[in-house]
Amino acid sequence: MPEKNTIDSQTDEKKALLTGKIHVPISGYIALIVAIIFFSGLLMNIAGMKWISAFDFTSLIGAFGTMKEPAKNSFVGDGGYSARAGFLFALSLIPTTMLALGFLEILTSYGAMKAGQRLLSPILKPLLGIPGFTGLTLITDLQSTDAGAALTKELYDDELITKKELIIMGSWQFSGAGAINNYFSIGSALFAFLTVPLIVPLFIIIIMKFVGAFFIRILLNTVYKEDFKHE
Amino acid sequence: MNKNPFDTFVIGARKGFQIGINNLLPNVLMAYTISEILKLLGVMEFIGKVFGPFMGIFGLPGEAITVLLTAWLSSSAGAGIAVNLYASGGISNTQATILLPAIFLMGAQLQYMGRLLGVADVPKKYWPALFVTSIVNSLIAMFILKIFA
Repeated sequence: MPEKNTIDSQTDEKKALLTGKIHVPISGYIALIVAIIFFSGLLMNIAGMKWISAFDFTSLIGAFGTMKEPAKNSFVGDGGYSARAGFLFALSLIPTTMLALGFLEILTSYGAMKAGQRLLSPILKPLLGIPGFTGLTLITDLQSTDAGAALTKELYDDELITKKELIIMGSWQFSGAGAINNYFSIGSALFAFLTVPLIVPLFIIIIMKFVGAFFIRILLNTVYKEDFKHE
Repeated sequence: MNKNPFDTFVIGARKGFQIGINNLLPNVLMAYTISEILKLLGVMEFIGKVFGPFMGIFGLPGEAITVLLTAWLSSSAGAGIAVNLYASGGISNTQATILLPAIFLMGAQLQYMGRLLGVADVPKKYWPALFVTSIVNSLIAMFILKIFA
């Protein structure tokens, strides 16, 4: 939309607001009615229709857990549910996230990722058919999806990789993007319950990235062969 | 390297705090609330019955499909649903382990479609293949952990 029109429509809207002549779509009235019912508390305790409290604000706030067994419970407590329980639980995860990312930052600054890249590079060509130097981008993706995406685009724009290689790299990054950082920040929610050492699920994620990208490589060389005959 | 390791740690820990407050907390709060709504409406029970046989292949109860469906939209929310299921006795320790890699292998694809495939200019023609591959990756990972976890 040209900029002038936007400004005009803004002033029109302002005029309409000031004069009270605003156009209200039907969805507006419906939303207002829903809001009033949702916040009213009317649906909280209807006998025999407990399911209807799913549309009631007060019910959905839920409850914090309580100290059922003070010696065992953390501040999250026991028996909490819905929004309140979710809030306290998420809060209890933050130390894990901070500690993990703090250590990752130190190890990265000592060159752990560069070493990973060095080890990764020689297997990329035989396994995935992409040049060894793309290892830097792939390693970057393990930490940050956005940085990996930006580097990939740069490689393609500078004609350092072909379209086929771009797609293979894209598939490697897409499944389990930002794996290491996401695993230690978001995945930490489940760490306490694991029956295998912490590193095993992360290892499986990284292996599966290769499996998926290998599959895409095969697919491009067979089903989509015609698309790349000029490369 | 020009910073001492203590400063470097603090930079990382600060990133962790930001992710915790801005990403984890709102998503987990939403996931817990959605779980509650699904439970109240009886949808959870219904989903559990319908997807029971399919999820059984991976040693999981039918309800666990809600973890995967949510993870597809947001990994944080998916992890939140998984924790909620665990807390309410819906999944065991082994089953939580089976779900963990899958949450990331097919995680947040709707977001990454724009942030990754869009930004990197991967031709749209191949996007469906990449989506399917990611989901298959998850299923294979779950199967591997079903055997070893």
